[in-house]
Amino acid sequence: MSTTYKGPVPGASSLARNVGVAAAVLVVVALFAQAWIVVQARPQDLLTGAHGMADIISRALPPAFDQFKPTLLPVLETIDLAIFGTVFGVVLAFPLAILAARNLTPAKPLYYAARAVIGVTRAVPDLVWALLFVTAVGLGPFPGALALAVHSVGMLGRLFAEVIEDMDMGPVEALTLTGASRMQVFTHAVVPGVLPSLLGIALYRFDENLRSSLVLGFVGAGGIGFLLLTAMNLFQYQTVAFLLIVTFTLVACAERISAYLRSLVA
Amino acid sequence: MNSILGAPGADTFGPPSRLYDGTASRGGARARGAKLAVRNLTMRYANGHVALQDMNLSVEAGEMVVVLGSNGSGKSTLMKCVVGLNRPSAGSVEVAGRDLTSLSGKTLREARLPLALISQHANLVRRRSVLANVCCGALGRHRTLATTLGCVPRHEVAPALGYLAEVGLAELAGQRAGTLSGGQAQRVAVARALAQAPQVLLADEPVASLDPEAADEVMRLLRRLASDDGLAVVCVLHQPELATRYADRLVGLRRGRTVFDRPTSEVSPREIAELYQADA
Repeated sequence: MSTTYKGPVPGASSLARNVGVAAAVLVVVALFAQAWIVVQARPQDLLTGAHGMADIISRALPPAFDQFKPTLLPVLETIDLAIFGTVFGVVLAFPLAILAARNLTPAKPLYYAARAVIGVTRAVPDLVWALLFVTAVGLGPFPGALALAVHSVGMLGRLFAEVIEDMDMGPVEALTLTGASRMQVFTHAVVPGVLPSLLGIALYRFDENLRSSLVLGFVGAGGIGFLLLTAMNLFQYQTVAFLLIVTFTLVACAERISAYLRSLVA
Repeated sequence: MNSILGAPGADTFGPPSRLYDGTASRGGARARGAKLAVRNLTMRYANGHVALQDMNLSVEAGEMVVVLGSNGSGKSTLMKCVVGLNRPSAGSVEVAGRDLTSLSGKTLREARLPLALISQHANLVRRRSVLANVCCGALGRHRTLATTLGCVPRHEVAPALGYLAEVGLAELAGQRAGTLSGGQAQRVAVARALAQAPQVLLADEPVASLDPEAADEVMRLLRRLASDDGLAVVCVLHQPELATRYADRLVGLRRGRTVFDRPTSEVSPREIAELYQADA
C-alpha cells in the first residue's frame, strides 16, 4: 500500500519561505543602518587622520627594551590579579551555582536568591567594581583583584549552573537508589560528572581575567595597565610600545597555556 | 602511578591489595526466603488516570519473574512504586519484610538498601573507572566522612573486583566507564547493583538498548543471580522470547491490571501475543 505525503518537502522553496527570508534580510540591513547613524560613523576621518597615528607609531619606535627590568613586578602583579580573581571567583561561584541549578537546588527561594546574586555581580562591569573597591580600599592591585573576583562570581556562577543543569542525571538517580546520602551522591556522581567542564570554564575565565586586569590598571588597580596609562600620560611612546609587546606576549602565552590545560581536562 | 580506580583526585584509599577471594558477604542475598511482596497496589495520578489497579505480586528468593505488557500497561509505574519514586494511592510494597510505602527521607533510603535497580541505561559515572563505579553501589552501607568526601570504601574494593569477575569484566576494572560498550556498561551496572548486597534485584527494560547477543548475555547473568545467588529478580521486558527463555514466572499487565501471573510453562504464546494486540 502506498501513501501520499502532502506536507512540506525539505529544501523545496515556497513563496512564504522566500518572503520570510527577504523580510529577515531587510531587518538586518535596517538594524545595521541605524547603528551606522547612531555611532556617527565617518570612515573618511579615519583616512585623513591616518598621519596622526603614523606620527605616534614613528615616535614609539624603537620600543624601550631597557624597561624590561622595571616591568617585571607589574607583570607579576597583572598575573596575580588574574589568579586571585579567578580562584576567589571559582570558590564563591561553585556553591552559588549549585543553588542556582534547577536540578540540584535544595529550595526554590535559594534558587532565586542565588540567581539574583549571580545576575547583579555579572551585570555590573568589572571596571565599575574596581572603581567601587578603589574608593573602599584605596589604590593598588587589591581593589582590582576584588573587582575581578566579584565579576567572576557572576560570570562563572551562570556558566557553572548551566553545566550542572545540563549534566546527565542518570548516575545521580542510580546512586540515590543505592541508598547513598545526598552528599555522597553529590561527591560521587555530580562532581565527577561536571568537574572537567567546570575546570575548562575556570581556565577560560583566568584567560579573560588576565586581559581584564590590564584594563583595570587604568583605574589605579596596578599592574601593566597602570604603567601603560602613566607612560601615555607622559608621552613616553617607546615605553608604551614596549609595554604593548609585553601585553601581547602575556596574553598569547596565557591563551596557549589555558588552551593546553583545557585540552588535558576535556 | 595511576590509581586503578582511575578517577581524578582522591578516589580511594589505595589500590586493592588482593583479588576477590569470594569471602565477601552479600548480606542476606544468599539466604532463602528474602522476597518482594506487592499487595493491592493502586496508582492513580492527579489527572485521574489509573496506572495500576489492585496489583499483587510476590517474588521469592531465587525466583526470576518477568513482567510483560505493552507501553502504558503500568510496568514502569510498578517499578517506580516499588523503589519508592512514586507513592502509591493504595496498597503496600514490602521488601525483605519491611513496608516501604509509608516511609520517606532517610528511613526510606535505609529500608531500600536490600533493593537494587538496573535501568534501561547503565547510568554509570563515565569519567570514573569501572571499579569505582561498582564500589559506589556500596555507599549506602558506608556513610563515613571519607566516602562523603568522594573516596570509595576501601573494604569494598576486593568484593567489587569479585562482582566484576562475576559479570565477566574483571579485566576492565581500571578502565574508564565511558569507554565501555552498551552490553559491558549494563553488566557493570549489574555488578554495581550486587555491591549494594541486595535481596531483590529489579531490572527495568535492562536489554532495551542492547544488540541480541549482549541482551542474551545480560539475561543469562540475571538468571544466574537468581538461581545461584538466591536473589529475587523482577525484570520488565519487551521481548517475549527472552522472557519465556529465562523467567520462572511471567506476569502479564494490561491497562494497569494483572492479566496472568503463572509459571512460564503455563503461559501460551497466544496469551502473550494478546497482551500486545489488545491495546494496539
